[in-house]
Amino acid sequence: MDKTTYEESKMLEIKNLHVTVGGKEILKGLDLTINDGEVHAIMGPNGAGKSTLSYAISGKGGYEVTEGSVLYNGKDLLAMDPNERAGEGLFLGFQYPVEIPGVSNMNFLRTALNSQRRYQGAAEVKAVDFLKLIRAKAKELDVDPEMLKRDVNVGFSGGEKKRNEMVQMAVLDPSMAILDETDSGLDIDALRIVADGINRLRGQEKSILLITHYQRLLDYVVPDFVHVLADGRIVKTGTKDLALQLEAKGYAGLGIAENAA
Amino acid sequence: MTLKRYLDTPEVGRNFEKRKTGFVGADQAWLSDLRARAMDKFMATGLPGPKVEEWKYTNLGFLARFLAQPQANENFEISKTDPDTAEIKSLFDRAYIENISGPVVVFVNGHFYSALSSRPDEDGVTFSIFSENPGGFRQSLAEEKESTPLNNLNRAMVTDGYYLEVSAQVTMSRPIQIIHLATSGSDGQSLHTRGKISLAASARAKVIESFLGPDGPQYWTHMISDVDVAEKAELDYFQLQLQGKQAIHITELHSVLLKKAKFNHMNLQLGAEVSRSEIMNSLSGEYAEIGLRGAYLGRVKQSHDIFTRINHDKSHCQSNQLFRGVLDEGGKSAFQGKVIVARDAQKTNADQSNKNLLLSRKAEANAKPELLIYADDVKCTHGATVGELDRDQLFYLRSRGLDEAAAKELLVEAFVAEVFSTMKNGGEKNGDDMEILQQRFTEKTRGWLSREVIS
Ligand SMILES: Nc1ncnc2c1ncn2[C@@H]1O[C@H](COP(=O)(O)OP(=O)(O)OP(=O)(O)O)[C@@H](O)[C@H]1O
Ligand SMILES: [Mg+2]
Repeated sequence: MDKTTYEESKMLEIKNLHVTVGGKEILKGLDLTINDGEVHAIMGPNGAGKSTLSYAISGKGGYEVTEGSVLYNGKDLLAMDPNERAGEGLFLGFQYPVEIPGVSNMNFLRTALNSQRRYQGAAEVKAVDFLKLIRAKAKELDVDPEMLKRDVNVGFSGGEKKRNEMVQMAVLDPSMAILDETDSGLDIDALRIVADGINRLRGQEKSILLITHYQRLLDYVVPDFVHVLADGRIVKTGTKDLALQLEAKGYAGLGIAENAA
Repeated sequence: MTLKRYLDTPEVGRNFEKRKTGFVGADQAWLSDLRARAMDKFMATGLPGPKVEEWKYTNLGFLARFLAQPQANENFEISKTDPDTAEIKSLFDRAYIENISGPVVVFVNGHFYSALSSRPDEDGVTFSIFSENPGGFRQSLAEEKESTPLNNLNRAMVTDGYYLEVSAQVTMSRPIQIIHLATSGSDGQSLHTRGKISLAASARAKVIESFLGPDGPQYWTHMISDVDVAEKAELDYFQLQLQGKQAIHITELHSVLLKKAKFNHMNLQLGAEVSRSEIMNSLSGEYAEIGLRGAYLGRVKQSHDIFTRINHDKSHCQSNQLFRGVLDEGGKSAFQGKVIVARDAQKTNADQSNKNLLLSRKAEANAKPELLIYADDVKCTHGATVGELDRDQLFYLRSRGLDEAAAKELLVEAFVAEVFSTMKNGGEKNGDDMEILQQRFTEKTRGWLSREVIS
């Protein structure tokens, strides 16, 4: 990409994104720009393509981009491997965090952090410093340190898995986080804690894309923009009031088809 | 024409005749007779061919090279000034697990090597070396737990071996490491060694045996272990195979367990071009428990063949087998696990699990569990799977910054980790040793994987 077209403030710039999964086109020309320090929320009916968007941005295999571009800090994100995208500061909080039997959370997180450090040309974190870091983050997020010794997500409850995603985010300290329904399945206290975690990141001029079905999270993390994704496109953009309207009237009430596919 | 089940090997007999005066203990009539009888038996059968069911996955045709060739080093002796000493030392350093303190016994090219050995020295523990005292092996060599062609060949050609005896009620204070090295000059040699481990009632011991050699020479390691675990005795016996890329590694292990005896065996196969491990066990007393654990990693022309047999001859015994295989491009493996439950062996509890991970489409894993149950009140399970790395797990790791190689490495490590995590530990001290062993194997697994990434 030509450096001169790159604007300092643009963290993520998606243009006309078309993504095909399993031979079926799911994203059909999606545009979205997120600037430094902004919080955007995406809402939309089940099956609209929200998770597909998050996977395409983070580079999951099988999500074929047939058209369009994604720039991240001005760099062509689509040309990068998933781990390079992470190294560039992108984080995806999974809607369904994956269980990895036989790999401890600690080992996983340390390997991940040091992989990113190496990518960024920084020194690896020493074992003691890592322990300190992870203990501090676990405390911030009210996560039992014992949980960190267990295998990655194995036997975790739905809410524990989501909190674990937040621990990972806090430790890896990304410049942009996409959180795919991180609020689903959280109890009321946990939602607050997670929201605090997101707001801490926000305070450091990081960008956040929240994918959510519920207005509730947006009471704690007030978004700069709310988008509605339906049938593979952003069909409506507004402020937090849009989320309130949706909550009150539903998608159909706003003239958005439940599933336009 | 009948199917050719065995391979003719007439040169072997001629070679044996030529060499027999040079064998260890050639001056002792009983031993020469025993060798000659064993050789006759071997000649009568020859090598098992691929038509023999048990040998379906490993073709022994290539052994002809070793059988026809006279050994160069029959009276093996290396002086302190020998230029090979440095090589032996460096091989030793690779095999020796230094944070497991305890006695160490080293064999080089199939012969005892005293310079790097420190034998066990404690009350109730007797340790002897075949080449120093062949007479001490008279009884154990004469015992025929199994009269397979290769066992006969080993008996006829045995180069050296060890005999570890632990007296009743005695617990060996530290694990013993047995290290078998092959040098760069071992091309074409066959190293026929034997080990005998015998635990009297309520004795306890731990044996860690490693096999290591350089890439380059094609040598044949042929090791037979006889294990006796008496009433209430407990033995842990681990074998770690780190042979050179061209090596051929064949081992047989025969164990007999008496009442309430416990035997844990771990079998880790990383090196060699061809490996074959036979692990044959008899539960000959009630309430005996056996655990077999193993992992094998193979790629590029490598083939690992694990053959286990557990005879449940008495009631209330437990057997538990867990084997994990990882095969990359060009790697091949077979796991054949046979469990035979005799008519009287009621209340038997036997389970077997074999899982294989294929990292490439050009890899092959065969699994063949076989249960023969003649008793009616038993609990026997088996499971075998062949699968690939989980794409979602891989992506999850990569989305956190791990490159493809590192992500694969972590998942492969996790896959084989079960072999260790399910190993029963006896006491805290043993737990530490287990951790050291696990770490050692994890390092080796990592090395195995990273080599793949480079090539
Ligand atoms: N491998 C596949 N083959 C075919 N269709 C697929 C495949 N994977 C996903 N889809 C379809 O893509 C569409 C978008 O799925 P996606 O997970 O992106 O929806 P979503 O907006 O995240 O929904 P939800 O709110 O339920 O999480 C769905 O209709 C889904 O069935
Ligand atoms: Mg979704």
